[in-house]
Amino acid sequence: MAKSSQTRIAEDEYGLRATYDDIEIGHELEEMKWVVTEEDIEKQCQMDEDFHEWYVLDSPWGGRIAPPQIQYRPPRWQLSRTFNVRGLFYKWTLENVKPIKPGDEITVRGKILNKWIRKEREFIEFESIGTDATGDIVFKTTRVHVLDVVKRDAPRAGVGIDSGIKNEKI
Amino acid sequence: MGIITAETPIGYDLPPVARRFNVGMFGAGGVKTIHNDQAAAEAEGLREPIAVAPQVAALVFRMMRLSFEAGWIVGGKSDLTFRRPVGVHDFCVAKGTVVEKLPEAGGRTRVVCEVSVETEKGVQAIVGKCSGVVG
Repeated sequence: MAKSSQTRIAEDEYGLRATYDDIEIGHELEEMKWVVTEEDIEKQCQMDEDFHEWYVLDSPWGGRIAPPQIQYRPPRWQLSRTFNVRGLFYKWTLENVKPIKPGDEITVRGKILNKWIRKEREFIEFESIGTDATGDIVFKTTRVHVLDVVKRDAPRAGVGIDSGIKNEKI
Repeated sequence: MGIITAETPIGYDLPPVARRFNVGMFGAGGVKTIHNDQAAAEAEGLREPIAVAPQVAALVFRMMRLSFEAGWIVGGKSDLTFRRPVGVHDFCVAKGTVVEKLPEAGGRTRVVCEVSVETEKGVQAIVGKCSGVVG
């Protein structure tokens, strides 16, 4: 059973939600390998209504490339593999270093950078860096998530319908 | 070549990019989430489902790609704050203005823009800065 909005969700179908105390600064997130497919690129273009011939046909970098924002999901999956956080997205930095091409294997490494409490809400910051098979950096990103919409003085109770853990597909 | 060049003046407005969202855009393969299900949203303390933040931010990225082309794909940077959730049926507009030009390696120029995404109610849902490289 879910809720009242005077409580913070305690668990969901994937188990207990990570708490503020569970998340340690410096904790490394589970490293992951990620290969973008042609289908992923098409889906990203559709989702964002962001079409360009470079994303569909050919580009100055030799062949089709992905919209750079396709880099959003792997770091989020990486966070969820390590900590069961639903929460809300608060801040996002990104750097597009190299174009992402279909078939490239990208290794994503990340860690918790910081955490803090402000206005009775709990925030965590993490970074992820994607590198290609040659070791070149493809993207860099930092993210800040607030762990709950509800203030931290509300008790944890109930089972959430949603979860931060999702199918790892674009 | 994009719209923005090293000669583009400070104060130049980027071409806005707009979109009306609908809940069908946040289907998540049939999984109930805070983005498509009233009960799931309420359980987390939200009044109603909210749009997926990166899909809203994508309006900014599209504007940056239109403006900088290759200078966004390689060398583009973004620093965004999600100030308010966007409703799943909201109309949103991404806007941007050139605010700074900085020297980059190789004689190139990084052009920095203040960016935002506003809803039809005038709420600034996203604010921040993005930049691309030209020259």
